Amino acid sequence: MGAGDVPPRATQVAALEMELSLARRPDVYLVLNPSARQLEVKVRGVALDRIPLRGVEKILHVPLLSASSPPPFPLPAVWRVVDGPGDSDREYIAPTELRPYKAEGYDDPPAAATPTRPGAPPPTATPIPEPPASYRAQLDCGWDLWITETLPPLGFLARARAAVRDGWERLRGRGTHPRPAITLAMDRDDAKRLHHLMRSGMPLLVLADP
Amino acid sequence: MLVVALGVAAVLARFGHAYAAYPFLHVPDERAATGDAQALGQRAARAATALDRLRPTGTYLVVDTYRNRLHVYRDGELLRTAICSTGTGIVLRDPRTGREWVFDTPLGERIIETKRRNPVWAKPDWAFIEEGMLPPKDPNERFDDVSLGKFGLYMGDGYIIHGTLFKSLLGRRVTHGCIRLGDEDLEFVYNTTPIGARVFLY
Repeated sequence: MGAGDVPPRATQVAALEMELSLARRPDVYLVLNPSARQLEVKVRGVALDRIPLRGVEKILHVPLLSASSPPPFPLPAVWRVVDGPGDSDREYIAPTELRPYKAEGYDDPPAAATPTRPGAPPPTATPIPEPPASYRAQLDCGWDLWITETLPPLGFLARARAAVRDGWERLRGRGTHPRPAITLAMDRDDAKRLHHLMRSGMPLLVLADP
Repeated sequence: MLVVALGVAAVLARFGHAYAAYPFLHVPDERAATGDAQALGQRAARAATALDRLRPTGTYLVVDTYRNRLHVYRDGELLRTAICSTGTGIVLRDPRTGREWVFDTPLGERIIETKRRNPVWAKPDWAFIEEGMLPPKDPNERFDDVSLGKFGLYMGDGYIIHGTLFKSLLGRRVTHGCIRLGDEDLEFVYNTTPIGARVFLY
């Protein structure tokens, strides 16, 4: 360190060491920088994609006039996705029965893989469901990671309406109890791309303020 | 009437919940907040050097499996971007055993283990089950010397960067996990990428 250099903060050093431990493995990891409002997709320390965030909030489902606020997180920290939406929202195909193999029979290619022949209709791909733009993934820190295009309405009147509606549903035994969520608001296409990437066990490094 | 309605709403609101947002406050992790300035400087330099060593040099590939693009880099400079096809993410279940195959292109880092001209595909069981057929007993029935095109770059565990007969499906997620390229892009990637090159997939 040179004479004019500013010594690094302990949290910066800790974040660097945490990232090093993640980068030693060949897996994809995410780096959330709340103050820069940015989420990075990284492998081996290389930023492969950067997603700008419109908002980073802690969102809780609480009584309307609740005075309690959640305790601050100790950061930096590495949390892991417990149930990756990229794993759980999958389409299954299962033939009901299998017929004996015939070489000539296999020459009938599947619809998804028919080569284009003169005069033949063009091949079509098996349709893949469009990923959602708003979804939740459980984190091992006890919170959810809520990826959404738009934050829920948070003004007092909107919250009062939501509380009345939720009170009515609770009275009918159908109340919802969403887990507290670290909420990242981003563009629709970014949210879909992240859904495709977010697998169970994927680490999320959350940086502290610079 | 209005008073009654407001009263009911107030009672319901008393028991109901609504979303509330709180700023993303944090405290320094106690485990992180240790050490004097000199020790912290040394730790930071060590970690930064180690991270630098993990980053790729020479020729490497980056595959965006959502947008279906393959990028060829050399020493950080982008040489070429190709449209590719990657895995559907669909799960196939064997009706006899319940065994499942996930048609995902793997994410993370892989290495080009071998390269072959005119690669031959030894079809695994899923290739037959997907067609509603039992896998053949004669191993010779499994070989296919057409589907993979002129070149193959093998990344391990059966994942290959190869050609395709189905050019119109490039740019879409249609494969069983392999990466398909058009002829010209495949030849460029084959000639440019050495064995041992790193492939970053996300």
